[in-house]
Amino acid sequence: MPGETALIVILLLPFMAAFVAGFLPQTARNTEAWLAGVVAVIGLGLSLWLYPQVTDGGVVRAEWTWMPSLGLNFVLRMDGFAWLFSVLITGIGLLVVLYARYYMSPSDPVPRFFAFFLAFMGAMLGLVLSGNIIQMAVFWELTSIVSFLLIGYWHHNASARDGARMALTITGTGGLCLLVGVLLIGHIVGSYDLDVVLASGDTIRDHDLYAPTLILVLLGALTKSAQFPFHFWLPHAMAAPTPVSAYLHSATMVKAGVFLLVRFWPVMAGTDLWFLIVGAAGLSTLLLGAYFAIFQQDLKGLLAYSTISHLGLITTLIGLGSPLGLVAAIFHIVNHATFKASLFMAAGIIDHETGTRDMRRLSGLRRALPITATLAMVASAAMAGVPLLNGFLSKEMFFTEAVENHTGSLLDQSLPYVATLAGMFSVVYSLRFIHKVFFGPDAVGLEKEPHEPPHWMRLPIELLVLACLIVGIIPGITIGPFLASAVTSVLGPETPYYSLSIWHGFNLPLLMSIVALVGGVLIYLALQRYLSSGIEGPPWFRNLKGQRIFERLLVTLSWRWAKALEKLLGTRKLQPQLRLLIGTVLLAACLPLFMGRFAPNLSAFVGFDLGFATMWAVGMACAVIAAYQAKYHRLVALMLMGGAGLVTCITFVWFSAPDLALTQLLVEIVTTVLILLGLRWLPKRMDAPELVRPATLMVTLRRYRDLLLAIVAGLGTAALSFAVMTRPAFDSVSRFFLERAYTEGGGTNVVNVILVDFRGFDTLGEVVVLATVAITIYVLLRRFRPAAESVGLPEQQRIQADFDAEQPHRRPGDTLTDYLNIPSVIMQWMFPVIIVLSMYLFLRGHELPGGGFAAGITMSIGFILQYMAGGTRWVEAHLRILPLRWIGWGLLFAGGTGIASTLFGFPFLTSYFQYLEVPLIGRVPVASALLFDLGIFLLVVGATVLILIALAHQSVRSPKAARAPRPLGPVGGEQ
Amino acid sequence: MGALFDHLIAVPILLPLLAGALMVIVDDRRRPFKIAVNLVSTLTLLIVAITLLMIAGGMTASGDPARTSVYLLGNWPAPFAITLVLDRLSALMLVLTSVLAVAALIFSLARWHRAGPHFHTLFQFLLVGINGAFLTGDLFNLFVFFEVMLAASYGLVLHGSGTARVRAGLHYIAINLSASLLFLIGVALIYGVTGTLNMADLAARVGDASAENRVILEAGAAILGIAFLVKSGMWPLGFWLPTAYTAAAAPVAAIFAIMSKVGVYVVLRLSLLVFGPEAGDSAGFGAHWILVGGMVTIGFGMIGVLASQGLSRIAGYSVLVSSGTLLAVIGYGTAPVISGALYYLVSSTLTISAFFLLIELVERARDAGADVLAVTMEAFGEDEAEDAEEEVGVTIPFTLAVLGASFAGIALLLAGLPPLSGFLAKFAMIHGMFNPTGLGDGLPIGAGTWVLVALLIVSGLAALIAMTRSGISIFWASIERTVPSVRVIEVLPVLGLLGLCLAMTLQGGAVIRYMDETAASLSEPAGYIESVLTAERVARAPSGTPDPAQGADEETEVAP
Repeated sequence: MPGETALIVILLLPFMAAFVAGFLPQTARNTEAWLAGVVAVIGLGLSLWLYPQVTDGGVVRAEWTWMPSLGLNFVLRMDGFAWLFSVLITGIGLLVVLYARYYMSPSDPVPRFFAFFLAFMGAMLGLVLSGNIIQMAVFWELTSIVSFLLIGYWHHNASARDGARMALTITGTGGLCLLVGVLLIGHIVGSYDLDVVLASGDTIRDHDLYAPTLILVLLGALTKSAQFPFHFWLPHAMAAPTPVSAYLHSATMVKAGVFLLVRFWPVMAGTDLWFLIVGAAGLSTLLLGAYFAIFQQDLKGLLAYSTISHLGLITTLIGLGSPLGLVAAIFHIVNHATFKASLFMAAGIIDHETGTRDMRRLSGLRRALPITATLAMVASAAMAGVPLLNGFLSKEMFFTEAVENHTGSLLDQSLPYVATLAGMFSVVYSLRFIHKVFFGPDAVGLEKEPHEPPHWMRLPIELLVLACLIVGIIPGITIGPFLASAVTSVLGPETPYYSLSIWHGFNLPLLMSIVALVGGVLIYLALQRYLSSGIEGPPWFRNLKGQRIFERLLVTLSWRWAKALEKLLGTRKLQPQLRLLIGTVLLAACLPLFMGRFAPNLSAFVGFDLGFATMWAVGMACAVIAAYQAKYHRLVALMLMGGAGLVTCITFVWFSAPDLALTQLLVEIVTTVLILLGLRWLPKRMDAPELVRPATLMVTLRRYRDLLLAIVAGLGTAALSFAVMTRPAFDSVSRFFLERAYTEGGGTNVVNVILVDFRGFDTLGEVVVLATVAITIYVLLRRFRPAAESVGLPEQQRIQADFDAEQPHRRPGDTLTDYLNIPSVIMQWMFPVIIVLSMYLFLRGHELPGGGFAAGITMSIGFILQYMAGGTRWVEAHLRILPLRWIGWGLLFAGGTGIASTLFGFPFLTSYFQYLEVPLIGRVPVASALLFDLGIFLLVVGATVLILIALAHQSVRSPKAARAPRPLGPVGGEQ
Repeated sequence: MGALFDHLIAVPILLPLLAGALMVIVDDRRRPFKIAVNLVSTLTLLIVAITLLMIAGGMTASGDPARTSVYLLGNWPAPFAITLVLDRLSALMLVLTSVLAVAALIFSLARWHRAGPHFHTLFQFLLVGINGAFLTGDLFNLFVFFEVMLAASYGLVLHGSGTARVRAGLHYIAINLSASLLFLIGVALIYGVTGTLNMADLAARVGDASAENRVILEAGAAILGIAFLVKSGMWPLGFWLPTAYTAAAAPVAAIFAIMSKVGVYVVLRLSLLVFGPEAGDSAGFGAHWILVGGMVTIGFGMIGVLASQGLSRIAGYSVLVSSGTLLAVIGYGTAPVISGALYYLVSSTLTISAFFLLIELVERARDAGADVLAVTMEAFGEDEAEDAEEEVGVTIPFTLAVLGASFAGIALLLAGLPPLSGFLAKFAMIHGMFNPTGLGDGLPIGAGTWVLVALLIVSGLAALIAMTRSGISIFWASIERTVPSVRVIEVLPVLGLLGLCLAMTLQGGAVIRYMDETAASLSEPAGYIESVLTAERVARAPSGTPDPAQGADEETEVAP
C-alpha cells in the first residue's frame, strides 16, 4: 500500500465508522467499542507503518484536486511532527475507547457517543494531516463542532449545555479569526499549500500585513488552547463524560492550538510581536492556571486548570522563539498528553467508584483503590515534575530556556521567577490531589462503596503511566528518535543540539526544580487551613469568573443591544416603511439628477391650451382631494378618483389614442364598481368623540413632513415626465412597429398588433396576473367574515325597512325590491346589447380600437349590470357562470395558440394571417392573433366576474356569518 | 430534434402556465389530479432546467460549446419585440428555482396544500413569474413577470389564512405594489430617453447617450433599482420581509427564499450588463450605494438574527443577511468575488429554504409553537374531516435525531462553518476580495474590503450564537420530549436540500468552475449583447408565407 492510500485511509476510516456507529442499536455497547477500537488500531498501525518515511524531514504527501481555481486542493501531508500527533491521537484514542467501554453506563445511548468520538478522531487527524491551510481551517472548525456535541452529550444537565455552548462560541470565533488569518497568509504567500507557506517565512514576516495576520492566527490558536484570557471555557467543558475530557480536553483537541503555533513557528515566530503576544499569553496562563488549580474542589476542575497551566507552559516555550524552546514544547506536548490523560481517567474511576468528584468528600481512597492510587500518584508526580518521570525532563528543558536571555525585555527578565513560581504551584496542586484523595481517614457518606474497577478499565492508565516512567528514565532510546524526527520536520536545518539525558549536572535549572519542589510542599502546608475551609476558588480572584463575564457580555451584546438596535433601525409598521420607501427613492433619483445638473427644459413649454389645462386642473384637484379624503370619506374619495381617471381618459382622446381611451374608460368603470362593492365591508368610520384624539404637535409635524414628502415626490415625477415627454423624437423601436404592423402583423390597429403580436408575450403575462389576482381575491374572500360592525344592514336599507313596517299595506322589503325598478329592467334588457357590443369590439380589434381585453371588460360590465339589477340570488338562479373555467380555458386558448406556431417550426406566438373570402361579407383578414385575443377575452371576463362574485357573495352569506360560518362552495366546476 | 431543443427555452414559462390553467378548470376538490399535474409539471421543469444548464454551460453530450441562446418570441427580430435569453446565470437560477419548487411541493403534499384552495395553481403561476424573470431579455417583460410572480405570491403568502398571515400579507402587498409602481416609472424613464426596452440593446445604447439624456437615464435606473432592492430586502427597504416570510406557510416560505434572490439577480444582471465597462460615463453606476446598502443590510440582518426569539424570525432575518451579502458583493463587483457570490447565492438559498421547511416540523411538537399550531388548526378546520385518515403521520424512530441533525447542518451553513457549502461560499468570496486577480497578485487590501470581510465573518458568528441558543433550547433543554409527528415526505425535502449543499462541497471544483465562467461572461457583457442583437429569425418557408403584398396594396393610414 503506498503512503498516499495509507493517509486517506487513516483520515476517512474514522468518519465512515462514525457514520456506521450512529446507526447501531442503542444497546450495542460492545460492538461500538470494538468498532472504535479497531479504527484506532488501524489508524495507529498505519501511522507506525509510515514512520520510516517521515524520519529526517521526510514527508508523505497525497493531493486530490478540489477547487483548484481557488487554490484549494485536498492535500494530506504527514511529516515527523504530524506523525507524532497522529500517533497521539490514535494511540490515546485507542486507550480512551477501551476506558470508555467500561466508563459509560449500559443505559447510555452510546451510538451517539461513539459516533461523535470517532468523528472527532477523524477531524483531529484531518487537522494534523492537512497539507493545505484552508483545509486545516476546515478540520479546525470541525473539531470545535464535534467537541461541542461531546460536551453536550449529557444535555439534560444545564452545565453541559452551557459549557458546550461557551466552548463552541469561543473556539468557533477563534476558528473564524483563524480562517481570515490563513486567507491572509495565502494572500501574502500566493498559495494555500502548506509546503509553500512553510518555505515563505521571510515573505510573511516582512509583509505589511504580518501584524493582522499574526493576531488573527493567534486568536485561533489561543482560544483553542484555552490561553488567558480565553481560558475559561475549558473548566466548563468538564461537564463532558470523563473519556471526552481525557481525550479532547487534555490530550488532543486543546493541543490543536499549540500544534498550530508549532506548525507556523518557522514562518511567523521570532519577531517581537510574536514574543510579546505568545509569550505574555503563555506566561500569564501558566501562572494563573496553576494558581487556580490549587483551589479547585472538583477533581476534574483541578485537572482542567492544571491543563490550562501546562498549555500555558507550552505556549510560553513556543513564544520564546528559540529552537530549543520549540524542542521542549514538542516534548512537553507528548509528556503532558500521557500523564494528563491518565490522571483524567483516574479521576473518572474515582468518580465512578465513589459517585463524587468533590475533593471535600473524598479521602483515604488508597485503601479501597490501591492500584489506582499508585498509578495516580506516579502520574501526579510526572505532572509536578518529579525526577525519573517524563514531566521532569520537559520541565527541566523549560527552566533551561527560561533562564536564557531572549529579548531582554521585562517579560523575558521575569521569566525564570514566574517559571519557578508556577513550578511551585504545580507541585502544590499535584500534592493536594494525591494527599486529599488518597490519604487521610476513610471517606464517610459516599453513595457507593469504592472498589477497584475492572482490570480492562484500568489498563489504559497502566500503559500511560508506564510510558511516563520509561520516557522519564530512558528518554534517549524511547522517545528520542520520534522527537528528533518531529523537531527536524519543523525546524529543518535549524534543528539545535539538545540532550534528553536526565542528568545535566548541578546547574541553575536543577536548582529551580528543587526550589519548586520544596517551595511547593511548603506552600501546600501553609495553605492547609484555607483549603480545608472548603471554599471553592482561590482567595483573591474567586469572584472574577470568566464564565459569568462571558455570559453577561453575550447576553448584553447578542440580546439586549441587538433588541434595542433592531427596534432603533427597523420597524414593523407599514406607514414608516412606505415613508422610507418614498424617501429613499427620492434620494436615489435626485442624486443623479443633482450630479448631472438636471433642469427641465421649460422652453419646450409651448402650445398652452386653456381647455386642456382646465381639464387637468380639475383632474389634479380630484386626485388630491381623493387622497385627502381617503381616510374618512371613502365614497367621496372613490368618486373623485373616478374623476381623475376620466381626465386621464379624455387626455388619451385629446392626443388621439382611442385604444387607450377606450380601455381606460372600461377599466375605470369596472374598478369603481368593484371597489364600491368592497367599501361596504370596510370597517366603519371611527367618529365616536372619545376615540378621536386631538392631534399633538408631534403628530402635526409628522403629517406636514409626509405632506412635504408627497409634494416633493409628486413634483419630481412631474418634472421627470415633462423632461422625457418634451424630448425631441428620436430613433426608437416604435418606428419598427408602425412599419410592420400591417405588412407583417396583418392589422391596421398598431396598438392591437403590439398587444397580440409584437409583444403578445407581455399580454399573456399580464392576463396571468389578472387571473392570479382574481383567484387570490376569491381565495381570500372565501374565508372572509365581515367585521361584526359591518354585518348589520346598511343605514339606507334600515330606513326603508322601517318605512315598510310603518305602512300597513306594505310588507317589509317591498321598497328594496322596488328600488331602481325601471333602471333594473333596462339593465336586464341591455344584457344582449352589451354582448353584441362586446363581440363587435372584439372582432374589429385588429383594425380599429377594441380587441380582446376591451371586449372582455365590456362583457363583464354586462354581468356586473345584471348583478346590480337583479341581485346576486336572482342572477345566479338564472345564469350559470363558472368564471374559473373561463379563466382556465382562456389561458389554455391563448397559450395553445402560441404553441401552435411551434408545430410549424416557428417560435412561440409567431402569428399567421391570411385573407379569407367569406360569402356576403367579402374578404376578411384572419390572423392567428385573433385566436390569441379570444383567449384574452375569455380570461378577462372570467377574472372580472370571479372578483365580482367573490365580493357579491359577501352580502349573501353575511347574515349567516354570526351563526354558521360556512362559506359557499367553490365557484367553479359545480356542474 | 434540434428544433425542439430551440423551444426548450420557453418551456420553463409555458409549462407552469398551462399546468396552472389546467388546474383552474378542474374542481379544487379533485386533489389527486392537481397533485399529479403539479408534480409532473414541477419535475419536468427540473429536468428541463438541468438540460438548459447543460446547454448554457456547454456540458451537453454533443460537446457543443457554451453559448448564450436567444429565443425570439413571435419570430420578431431582437431589439423590437421580446426575447428570451438563456445564459449561464439564468440557467443556474432556473435550476435553483426548480429544485426549491420540487422540495416545497413535496413538503406541501403532506398537509399544507390542503390549507386553502387553489394552492397548486398559484404555485405554478409563481413559477411562471420567477422563471420568466430569469429568462426574459426585455425590461418591460421583466416587469410583467415580476407582476406575475408578485400576484401569485400575494395569494400564496395568504395561503392558510389566519390573522397573522393576513396582516403580514397585506403589508407585503402594499409595499410591493408601491415598488411595482416605481418599477414602471423607472422603465418609462429609461424607455423615454433610450427608445428601447431590450436589455442588450439598452446596454449597447447607454454608452452613446447624451449628457442630457444620461441624467434622466440614471435617475430612471435609480428608481428602477429601488424597486429591485425592495424585493431583495435591502435596508431600509426590507422590514416587511422577515415578517412576511415568517407568517407564510412553511412550503410557501421555502419557495419564497428564491424570490428575494430575483431582486438580487436583476441587480446583478443589469448592473453588469447596462452599467458595465462599456457604459461610458455611467459605468459602475450605483455600485457604491449597493455596496454600502448591502453592508448595512448584513449588519441589520445580523442584529435581527440575534434579537429574534422564534426560529422563523431567525430564518426571516437570515434572508436579509443573505441578500445583504449578495448586494454588497455585487457592489464590490470584481469577477472572482461575483463567482464566490454566485456560489453563496445557491448555497444560502438552499439553506434558507430547508430552514423554513424544518422550522415547521420542529415547532410542531413544541408548546412555544402553539401559535403556529393554532394557525394550522384554523387552516385545517374545514377540510379535516375528509382527509382525516391521511393526517396521521408515520412516526419514524429517528425523527428527532434527523431533525436535530438537519438543524445542526443548517446552523453550520448559516454560520459559514465547515464542512458544508456555507463555509466554501464565504471562503470563495473572501478569497476573491483578498486576491482580485488570483493568488499571489500582491495587491493591497482596501479599507472597504476589511469592513466587508469583517461583516461576513461576524454575521456568521451571529448566526452561530443565535442558532446554538435556539437549538439548545429546542433539542437539548426540553425535558419531556414530544416527538413531532412528521411524515417521510416532509423530511425528505429538507434532507435533499441539505444533501445538495453537501454535494456542492464535495463537487466544489466543478461548481466553482461553472460560477467562474458565469462571472467572467457577466463581466464582459459584449458577448451577451452580440448574441441577442444578432439572433437569427426562423426563415419563413415559401409555401406557408402570408402574402404581405396582398395586404400592402390596401394602404390604410396607420394610427400614429
